Amino acid sequence: MTDAVNTDRWIRWLNLVQLVLAGVIIMTPTVWMVLSSFKPSFEVTAYPPTLIFTPTLDNYVELTKTTPFLSYALNSLIVTVGSTALGLLFGIPAAFAVSWTRISWPAILTLAARMAPGTLFLLPWYVMFRQVGMIGSYTALILSHAVITLPIVIWVLLPSFDAIPRSVFEAAQVDGCSVTRILWRIALPLVASGIAVSAILAFVFSWNYFLFALVLSNGDTKTLIAAAFNFIGEGSTQWGALMAAATLIALPPLVLAALVQRWLVSGLTLGAVKG
Amino acid sequence: MASISIRNLTKRYGNFTVIPDLNLEIADHEFVVFVGPSGCGKSTLLRIIAGLEPISSGDLYIGDTRVNGVQAAQRDIAMVFQDYALYPHMRVYDNMSFALELRGTPKAEIDARVKRAAALLHIEPYLDRKPKELSGGQRQRVAMGRAIVRNPKAFLFDEPLSNLDAKLRGQVRAEIKALSQELKTTMVFVTHDQIEAMTMADRIVVLQSGTIQQYDTPEAVYERPANQFVAGFIGSPAMNFFPVEWRQERAILSQGGTVVPLGEETANGLRRAGSAVLGIRPEHFAVATDAADGIAVNVKLVEPLGSDTLIHFDLAGAASIARVDPSLRPKVGDRLSLRPQPSRTHLFDAANGRVLR
Repeated sequence: MTDAVNTDRWIRWLNLVQLVLAGVIIMTPTVWMVLSSFKPSFEVTAYPPTLIFTPTLDNYVELTKTTPFLSYALNSLIVTVGSTALGLLFGIPAAFAVSWTRISWPAILTLAARMAPGTLFLLPWYVMFRQVGMIGSYTALILSHAVITLPIVIWVLLPSFDAIPRSVFEAAQVDGCSVTRILWRIALPLVASGIAVSAILAFVFSWNYFLFALVLSNGDTKTLIAAAFNFIGEGSTQWGALMAAATLIALPPLVLAALVQRWLVSGLTLGAVKG
Repeated sequence: MASISIRNLTKRYGNFTVIPDLNLEIADHEFVVFVGPSGCGKSTLLRIIAGLEPISSGDLYIGDTRVNGVQAAQRDIAMVFQDYALYPHMRVYDNMSFALELRGTPKAEIDARVKRAAALLHIEPYLDRKPKELSGGQRQRVAMGRAIVRNPKAFLFDEPLSNLDAKLRGQVRAEIKALSQELKTTMVFVTHDQIEAMTMADRIVVLQSGTIQQYDTPEAVYERPANQFVAGFIGSPAMNFFPVEWRQERAILSQGGTVVPLGEETANGLRRAGSAVLGIRPEHFAVATDAADGIAVNVKLVEPLGSDTLIHFDLAGAASIARVDPSLRPKVGDRLSLRPQPSRTHLFDAANGRVLR
């Protein structure tokens, strides 16, 4: 009895230690980035790092003065929303088709594409887009980012579609539904939370993706994350402005990630079958 | 409303044949129950009729139309699923109206039909609820309501009572039977429960390994089983079986040498065959007042059911049961004299299980 209580106590302690360690490892760079963005320029690289300082918005002011920050943000938004929409447009029916037919190789193919290094796509894309005069266009960026968003949508939605009892689809068939109508009227409402989660994840991954925009964009279509790279100069690096930019870039994904949690808990299929 | 005709139907999954060459005619307005053990192909056959499983070879007609390649959506069949398969995101009303809406039925007519079905099934108070807010029994009714509103050519039921508790199962069973009499539509009902089959069916299809063992009225299946499988499957507790031989113009149990009185028909059958399997239902044993008149057995177990008493005993090496009057309460170890009703004994070929007469 005492042994069991002691073991439980140890497990609780170890859990706590694990959580604290994981929290510290994950949060330290983020906190450091946010704090640095509010430090005067000379303090950003000070060693040892200062924890107590007078916060300033100078880095943010400099960022907006020296760069077309809003224009980059708009580019990021266009590319991210466009590629997320494209991912959803093709990913939803694709995931439904894979779940319906139980033929999984197309989904595995998209996963392989996602796992492959971006440079693998970059070279042929660069050549192809240049040949059709699309380098620097939003279309090229949106299409390339669909490689990020499409597998995410498919793989997040696949378990959601699989979780719907097969008999619900069969009941709809017997009721007179075509497959398209089953997707639209039965499956989509039941995987609404999955769609929201996949959209948010696709948005976050596309927003944060750096490589394609670095090569395929031009001065007018450069995304935030590619533009932030310019702060790292050959001679000197504007660490303060870079931290401010990084903080602003990280903000939308963080807000969206917080939203995902709310969606994950809802269970729409409850009551579909016996119980 | 329509008849269903299955001709030389075969269903294979890869190299595995689930249903080999099956023929079946279900008449218009008939209530047919498919019964059989797990894996006998009864649900597969129902799903083939519904259009949810393709046919490997053979023909399926609903009415006069060959429907082999016709999608489930176009067959005008309603089906109640084992797990009810309600649309979880729709209210009860929408669950019931969905199929009519798809067919472009006018709103006023949809409303009238949904309300009529809801009244019939006593689910009017739940029309605005979602399935998750209903009990198992209520969901079952909604599933039936969804089928009823459509006025289809045939109703298919895939073990719809198996998830209900015993009391509710009995109640819904009676309701479905009453519904079938009111709706006068062809109904095909799949179950593994032979009581459901016996109480509801106009005719029963007993299936084993994808082949029809017998297709007849419940009375005929019970009184005149076509083979040992049907005899053992229909009836609860199951029929007792004993190896029997014809020696010195008498039927004698192969093990133990007990003489058994047989009816004329079974005696003739045994005389011709020489040896066979004798079948006696538990309810066709009577306790003999004169010990010399019956078969002496030792009581192994007594199960008083209230309406009658089940006596377990060993006879000729087989664990056997007799159903006797509830007033009789022998003790374990007591010696009883049981007398089978000679005219209600059955005889089966020991090699292939076919009935011998």
